[in-house]
Amino acid sequence: MKTLPAYTMRFLLYGVLAAPLLLFGLYAFSEHWFFPAFLPKDWTTAPFIRIVADAQTGKSLATSLGVAFLSSLLSLLVAFPAARTLGLQKFRGRQLAWLIFFLPMVVPPLAVGMGLNILFMRLGLAGSLFGVVLSHLVPTIPYTIFTLAGVFAGYDKNFEHQARVLGATQLRVFFNITLRLILPGLVVAGLFAFLISWSQYLLTLLIGSGQVLTLPLLLFSAISGGNPTSIAALALLFVLPPVLVIAASARYLNQHGNTVREQY
Amino acid sequence: MAPAILLVGILFGVSLIYGLAQSLGLLTGTDQRALSLAAYQNVLYGSEGRGTEFWTSLGFSLWVAGVSTLLSAVGALPVAAWLNYQNGRGRQMDTLALNWNLAFPHLVWAIGLLLFFSQSGLLARLAALLGWIQNPADFPVLVRDRLGIGIIVDYVTKEIPFLALIVLAALRSQPEDYGVVAANLGATPWQRLRFVTLPQIFPSLISGSLLVFAFVFSAYEVPSVLGMPYPRMLPVLALDFFANPDLHHRAEGMAISLIIAAIVVIAAAISLHYEKHAGSSQ
Amino acid sequence: MAHIDLISLTKTYPGRIRPVLDGFSLNIASGELVALLGPSGSGKSTLLKLITGIERPDTGDIHFDGKSVLPVAPNKRGAVLMFQKAYLFPFLSVAENIGFGLKVQGESPKTIQKEVARLLDIIGLPGVEKRKPSQLSGGEQQRIALARALIVQPHLLLLDEPLNSLDPAVRMNLQETIRRIQRELKITTILVTHDLSEAMAMADRMALLINGQVAAVDQPMRLFQQPPNEAAARFVGITTFLKGSLAHGTLRTDYGNLMVNTNGHMANSALFAIRPEHIQVQQHPGQNAIPGKVVGCMYRGEHIEYQIAASGLAIRARVPMPAAMVPHGENVFVVFPQEYLFAINEQSVRHSSTT
Repeated sequence: MKTLPAYTMRFLLYGVLAAPLLLFGLYAFSEHWFFPAFLPKDWTTAPFIRIVADAQTGKSLATSLGVAFLSSLLSLLVAFPAARTLGLQKFRGRQLAWLIFFLPMVVPPLAVGMGLNILFMRLGLAGSLFGVVLSHLVPTIPYTIFTLAGVFAGYDKNFEHQARVLGATQLRVFFNITLRLILPGLVVAGLFAFLISWSQYLLTLLIGSGQVLTLPLLLFSAISGGNPTSIAALALLFVLPPVLVIAASARYLNQHGNTVREQY
Repeated sequence: MAPAILLVGILFGVSLIYGLAQSLGLLTGTDQRALSLAAYQNVLYGSEGRGTEFWTSLGFSLWVAGVSTLLSAVGALPVAAWLNYQNGRGRQMDTLALNWNLAFPHLVWAIGLLLFFSQSGLLARLAALLGWIQNPADFPVLVRDRLGIGIIVDYVTKEIPFLALIVLAALRSQPEDYGVVAANLGATPWQRLRFVTLPQIFPSLISGSLLVFAFVFSAYEVPSVLGMPYPRMLPVLALDFFANPDLHHRAEGMAISLIIAAIVVIAAAISLHYEKHAGSSQ
Repeated sequence: MAHIDLISLTKTYPGRIRPVLDGFSLNIASGELVALLGPSGSGKSTLLKLITGIERPDTGDIHFDGKSVLPVAPNKRGAVLMFQKAYLFPFLSVAENIGFGLKVQGESPKTIQKEVARLLDIIGLPGVEKRKPSQLSGGEQQRIALARALIVQPHLLLLDEPLNSLDPAVRMNLQETIRRIQRELKITTILVTHDLSEAMAMADRMALLINGQVAAVDQPMRLFQQPPNEAAARFVGITTFLKGSLAHGTLRTDYGNLMVNTNGHMANSALFAIRPEHIQVQQHPGQNAIPGKVVGCMYRGEHIEYQIAASGLAIRARVPMPAAMVPHGENVFVVFPQEYLFAINEQSVRHSSTT
């Protein structure tokens, strides 16, 4: 189908996908770009460096990375055995377990965050990094479980049996057989847990009580500030890690990306 | 299994219980000690501003979510069909391009649209360059507008790839041979599309569309960035009430948020029903 | 319900050197069931694609009732295929599946309903109209697929290993059903299979497809008992070939002299063959007997299968039960009864150059 509509379609697709980065670049690396100039006259990295080098930016970047990394790691650890059971075994109460994991995925973070807000305040978890991570687990664990359960549903346990009867220890079987077989699924699940946590605004806002400052929160305050340069600079900083992880795991995405049903 | 159930079950369950209690007037920091449906009454038929704004917001939310879902579904079909038609390297690249979309959280996407479509944004500057407008004010209001066009554009552009991937997965999971069987039984290409391909992807499309609806209906970030102070979508209204310094509004915010959750769960349940349908047909 | 002529069909896929089909010719009479047998890769599925019109032949022609169908689009040809998998549309009911072919032709719902009921009767599953395909067993699904194919009254029915995924008992039952319906409706049919016994049980004639050509075509019994050439013989389970020179009704071989019926066969060098069940094993010498040693012996219920080494010749013999087992390592005599030895061609396929 080497026809005009095909090229138009492809052009649109790639254009729409590349556009945000270009747009942020225009705003982040320019100064005194006043209407109606179509392109900036003064190109400069000064405002971008100023914003990125700002102590608050650095701190929230570190917080964001830490929260997202911890959330996805904990999710994988907790989800792995659950997904294995859910994907491989039939047991009583399976439907119920399934429901318990399904509901947090669809109930919006707004309701969850508002509900947890008071509880965490009473427990003294509000405003703490740990509290925020804990709240992020509500959407990330179920998501990780369902992704991994899908992987395990197509998993043949006989590979493990074969390794066992050939003399491998249980530990060895886990590291040499199980992990290697489901690695692509594990990467995708971890990746999306990271992304869900990374872009989480409401839960951080409602649990962090203004004391845990992540990039989305900083971005929101920049938006109310209204300065396009700082908005664009922060947006670039915010979108960079997701772009990098998606690019790095591209080959796994083609295998498992179709299972992505969660949004963030 | 147990740690996951406990962790998720307790966190989620307790958040619901606390949420429900708050919406009934408890634990909100006020001195109320008895259950009360006042918050729901105020929200649903209060005569003050709040009562009326709920219905406006509900209508606005349904409008934005409905139109976004419909346009996304209609847009996703040709994209998926076109991708399915491709083969080899081009097809892999395009699928990857759709996944690339995942790298942009909704918040970032909304900011991009804001910088592009606002009255002093890049599009307005282009219009000025071409001599169509003189001042930013001459440019039509495309984001932060009363009809929610900016919000809808954001969701449609993000959800078309989302739905296209779902439809594509449905198309690829079905053996190609059904089309061959149909042709062999005398079906024309158009009849194959009408009687074989569309029924194959229909359950997946409906299921995915309902997920989109649920998400758009309950998400906060995009309407917060691209929306107007009035009308507001329900999540924005809910958070505004909840964060109101007057603690009496907390219960109302919580009530709205639970109403949103209920609607979303219903949409998700129907979606699930269709997804099972899609699963059983494979 | 048409006679079919497949005329010198040739097909080479792009990038391949060897043709998949290499001058394939076969004529099928109206109402006849021809089984097409061949090892995998022999061009069976390509042939079906050419007949249904999914692919075009490089050269050659396909005639239905004497008229070329090459210009006819696949959906207008009336050559309906039934696959190994039933491929019932999962989102349609049984009745909607069967009626599909009539629906796309624009028939009225009433006609379709009547026809569906009639076909359900024929295939012996009345009353399942409203069920979904997933509620039926594998055998029932294949019956529905057959009904779906028959409802359009095709000129030619193509069965592409339709019973392969079924249990043996269901399979036998369906073989009978298909054959009965095919005879009743007098529908011209090509059955593609690699199961020899299925082909013999169902077909009026069998055609052996080897290397893209028809290696042999005949009635099942004749093809089984006296295949015309070595390739065909191997395909029907013959492994014992005796090569030698022929003089006065005697075949002189490296293993000894054998009395044979020449049937006018006068060539100096000749190849004879014998079916394994016609070979006898005994412990004393005799006419047409050569000495050998038992190197393999398997009890198979209805017969014993011996592997016997006789001066460099590996002989496989099937001795019907009841018989005494000759143990492994024993010296025996292998008898080739004169009436069962038959001459065959060494060359498998008649090339177009040899007239």
